[in-house]
Amino acid sequence: MTDQNNKHDTHSPLNAAVQHPIVRLSDVCKTYEQGKVRVNAVHDVSLDIQHGDFAALCGPSGSGKTSLLNLIGGLDVSSSGTVIVDGIDLATIDGSELSEVRKNRIGFVFQSYNLIPVMTAYENAAFVLNLQGVDETECRDRVMATLKAVGLEGLEKRRPDEMSGGQQQRVAIARAIVTEPAIVLADEPTANVDSHTAESLLDLMEQLNRQQGVTFLFSTHDQHVMDRARRIIQMHDGKVASDHAQAG
Amino acid sequence: MNLNRLAWRNLWRRKRRTMITGFSVAFGVMLAVTFTGAGDYFYTRMIDAGASMGMGHVTIEAVDYHRAPSLKKRLQHVESLREKALQLPQVSDVMTRITGQAMFASASKSVGGMFIAVDPAQENSENNLFIRSIIEGSMLSSPEGRNIIVGSKLAQKLHLRMGKKVVYTTTDVHGEIVSAIARVSGIFETGISEVDGAMAMLPIHSVQKVLGYQVDEATLLGIILKDQRFSKSMRDKLAAMPLYSKAEVLSWQQSQPELAGMIAVDKSSNYISQLLIGLLVAAGILNTMLMSVLERTREFGVMMAVGMAPGALFRLIMLESFWLAVIGLIAGIIITIPWYIYMANTGIDLSGAYGDDFNFAGVLLDPVMKIRLFQESIVAILLGLFTLALAAGAYPAWRAGRIPPVESLKTI
Ligand SMILES: Nc1ncnc2c1ncn2[C@@H]1O[C@H](COP(=O)(O)OP(=O)(O)OP(=O)(O)O)[C@@H](O)[C@H]1O
Ligand SMILES: [Mg+2]
Repeated sequence: MTDQNNKHDTHSPLNAAVQHPIVRLSDVCKTYEQGKVRVNAVHDVSLDIQHGDFAALCGPSGSGKTSLLNLIGGLDVSSSGTVIVDGIDLATIDGSELSEVRKNRIGFVFQSYNLIPVMTAYENAAFVLNLQGVDETECRDRVMATLKAVGLEGLEKRRPDEMSGGQQQRVAIARAIVTEPAIVLADEPTANVDSHTAESLLDLMEQLNRQQGVTFLFSTHDQHVMDRARRIIQMHDGKVASDHAQAG
Repeated sequence: MNLNRLAWRNLWRRKRRTMITGFSVAFGVMLAVTFTGAGDYFYTRMIDAGASMGMGHVTIEAVDYHRAPSLKKRLQHVESLREKALQLPQVSDVMTRITGQAMFASASKSVGGMFIAVDPAQENSENNLFIRSIIEGSMLSSPEGRNIIVGSKLAQKLHLRMGKKVVYTTTDVHGEIVSAIARVSGIFETGISEVDGAMAMLPIHSVQKVLGYQVDEATLLGIILKDQRFSKSMRDKLAAMPLYSKAEVLSWQQSQPELAGMIAVDKSSNYISQLLIGLLVAAGILNTMLMSVLERTREFGVMMAVGMAPGALFRLIMLESFWLAVIGLIAGIIITIPWYIYMANTGIDLSGAYGDDFNFAGVLLDPVMKIRLFQESIVAILLGLFTLALAAGAYPAWRAGRIPPVESLKTI
């Protein structure tokens, strides 16, 4: 695996402009075969995600949002086209290298049931750092700082079933950002919480984006959530229907 | 958090299920100990009882005697042969004996049978079934003299009572017919009718004179070992010694092939029971781990999505099976110890269920069922169950890492 992008450089706002985009999709297709029916879940998508983006992937149900996020996140492989994440062409690497890319360069937040039930908030947030083999003290410092940043100070010892849905999503966000990934991919992160909680989660994501430079790409079909994004990528039938910036 | 701690916590997510599975493993330990222990005890008892019927665990006898018994065939220098055998560390006792066929006649009748001539100084009731079965009179007090101890059914057939005279007729060292007179000084009853109806015990020096044997000539040396399990290796060891080159050395399996055959059959059915117990335990673990893996599909999907390698997931599930097995085995040891102590010391009296005539391949049995485990059996049970438990966990563990996260993330 090539590692031409030193993490700190990618994360430094000064260098962002001269770096490659964090994600570059060129003519990406994903076709599912269901019996005799072929579904073009993602159809000829080309787009770049730049460092510092706070982008929403929008579109009706079945338009290909999850499929696209899975391709970018290295959870699935494209049928054709290239997916380059943090300088790595995902088509050229094998399964265990994909696993490494996910561990080291991507943060994931899912719609629900993100956390491991037998682990505390602290342990969940530290999960990926442990997989990376980060030593105890450094791990502790980073996790505590991150939990504080996502507003969970004092709740470190709570298990998922002792936390609200919003708190659980905050733990998931903490787990995603504590490794300082190139990008955080969030598939409908607010779909399972009430609108008030959704607002505060977006506040948090926005704050992490502005203050710590975390790049976010999240999917949604909620208009309120869309309104908060600074870039809207609209999908329809697997294609990008529109892609434009908006005031955050 | 390391995999081990995670595995341990996962195990306690469903306390009841874990405890039930753990208990089934524990119960498997108890069953396996009972079956194996009953076998270890029973076979040892059988073999020891068989050995006390005259031949010992290992027999040194005249060449070809057991294929074609004849009183012409005899061992020489038995005293020095006996002394040498007694020096071997595994040997607990050695008895010099003459055995052969005879006709027994009383005033009213005559009956064919067998005699065993012994030196009372070498014998004890532990090593000699006839001595411990004496119901009237007492054991011979001297290797000389004219006393005879007869089986109860033989006494009945000949209308003998204590103090009555018997004439025994046999063939001597030259094949000539010889007879001698003896007086009944004891009656034994082993409970095995073939034995009680045909056997008599005689003093060895008297018999040697009758047969024309030298004082250090006899049919066989019966060797009693400290542990019957060494009979084969002991046989080989003795057979290889130049001292015994003019003799034939037999293990109890060779001298009592009928008993050996019965034990082999019984052992194989015991192995089948053991296998079933093992399968039961393995099925319990497989079922539990498979269920627990299937209901965590989503969770494994998340773990793999964020970068956990399938191999690590495999190890996690294997560790869960490992701890499940450890819990079960420890619980098994805890519940089995008191049961074992009871069964080893008191046992279960089966005489009510089977009556008093407990006879297995012509060997009399104690009607109390007890258990006794050899050390290697304990190791085999624990290791066997442990290996089975891990093997049963391997399939669920492999399954867990095989579902691609895109698929498992779709489930809840
Ligand atoms: N594994 C699969 N096999 C077959 N078809 C699939 C598979 N996954 C997705 N699809 C199809 O691909 C298309 C895009 O699905 P996708 O889940 O990406 O949409 P989405 O925009 O995320 O929808 P939603 O808003 O409902 O989550 C749909 O038509 C879906 O039925
Ligand atoms: Mg979706």
